[in-house]
Amino acid sequence: MKKSLVFICLICVVAQAQEADVFDLLDEPRPEEKVFATFKGTQLINAQTNETPGKGVLQYVISHRFGSFQNDYLYNFLGLDNAQIRMQLDYGITRKLDVGVGRSSVLKIADSFIKYRLIEQQKGNNKALLGVTLYSSLNYRNARFTDGVEHNPSDRYSYMHQVIVSRKWNANLSTLLSPSLVHFNLVPASQDPNTTFHLTMAGRYKLRPRVALTAESTLASNYEYSTGERFTTPFALGVDIETGGHIFQIHLTNSRSLNAPYWMAQNPYVASDGGLFLGFNVSRVFTVKD
Amino acid sequence: MKFQLTLAALIFSLSMCAQQYLTRQGSITFDAGTPLEDIRATSVSATAVYDKTNNKLGVQALMTSFEFKRALMQEHFNESYVESERFPKTVFKGKYIDGRAVGTLTIHGVAQDVDVPAALIEENNRLILKADFSVRIADFGVRIPKTVANKIEEKANITLNCVLRVKP
Repeated sequence: MKKSLVFICLICVVAQAQEADVFDLLDEPRPEEKVFATFKGTQLINAQTNETPGKGVLQYVISHRFGSFQNDYLYNFLGLDNAQIRMQLDYGITRKLDVGVGRSSVLKIADSFIKYRLIEQQKGNNKALLGVTLYSSLNYRNARFTDGVEHNPSDRYSYMHQVIVSRKWNANLSTLLSPSLVHFNLVPASQDPNTTFHLTMAGRYKLRPRVALTAESTLASNYEYSTGERFTTPFALGVDIETGGHIFQIHLTNSRSLNAPYWMAQNPYVASDGGLFLGFNVSRVFTVKD
Repeated sequence: MKFQLTLAALIFSLSMCAQQYLTRQGSITFDAGTPLEDIRATSVSATAVYDKTNNKLGVQALMTSFEFKRALMQEHFNESYVESERFPKTVFKGKYIDGRAVGTLTIHGVAQDVDVPAALIEENNRLILKADFSVRIADFGVRIPKTVANKIEEKANITLNCVLRVKP
């Protein structure tokens, strides 16, 4: 019996000797680590990003698109004399859910939207290689129709539904790929598609901690209407500058409308003919509820 | 009789073996606020380990696990101040010696020797680790822009509260 006691004690000593350095426990894989700040703003330029303002945060965004380069642009001070504007107010109900309204001077469109971060990119044990965010907007054209035809209110509506697939590759590079669906209740003729499909490709590269280059382009399933209207692929190049609670986004784009159905599906401007516009977005956030 | 003794010896030896303590739900709060700005964040997923045989004490937390009241502040903290992408975690490795934690504290990739008061209290098979100390932010190479310097305290107060259990 003494033997067995000695034996057990021996086992214990051996077991203890084999026990790893306690510091090794520190580095065991972690269950989750959310990837933060994939993009600076909730909007990249025209395109939506995976970002939301955050819980209890009210965001105010002013966007401008100036006049085109084809039209006496020096006389018009680079188009600044012909600015189009959209104002947006949105609120983060939860960390993942954002709702907002906007009003644009292009066709006097009023809009509302909802955005939800379905899957957030994660490092660590429960890896999620991509972020998936859902976005929907409802747009109402207040501008009078000039075709002399009587219109129903329903003719004024258009919609955009989007799945934003985002990935932050490293501290500097983030990209997104967003398949979208645009629907206009009213198109010029019955053979023209009411619903079109679009694919946004976009990225940002951080040059400095608070400065980033951004670029985006959106392909479409339809580039013309039977009436002879031709549309182009919208693109934009920009710079993000962050200063505390503000984000300044200055860019050059070939689209002027500030509502997704219109710039995605009905962009008439040709960059090579001077259809280029300077623009900026400025956002400011207010923490309403702690 | 023989069996009982053996069993008793086994249990005793097992308890002797159980010298390592661990938690992955430790709480760390840091406070660098001034009257101008409330800058405080808490992580509730810190790892703390302690080895009774050699008094080794280790604490580690992911920088991104610190939750601020304001989402934007949290983003700035991670992106512009502690640069969590480059330096994902803060680590303390050292020993617990007579009411003090002595060792190396690494924040923002900069390691500093520290010797701070700490309490390690044994209570029903658990170890409660408590510490309250402050560090100079500048010592760890965290750059604070002049424009906000008056909103951030030079010294950050760090409070630790961890309940460690015997490692299974």
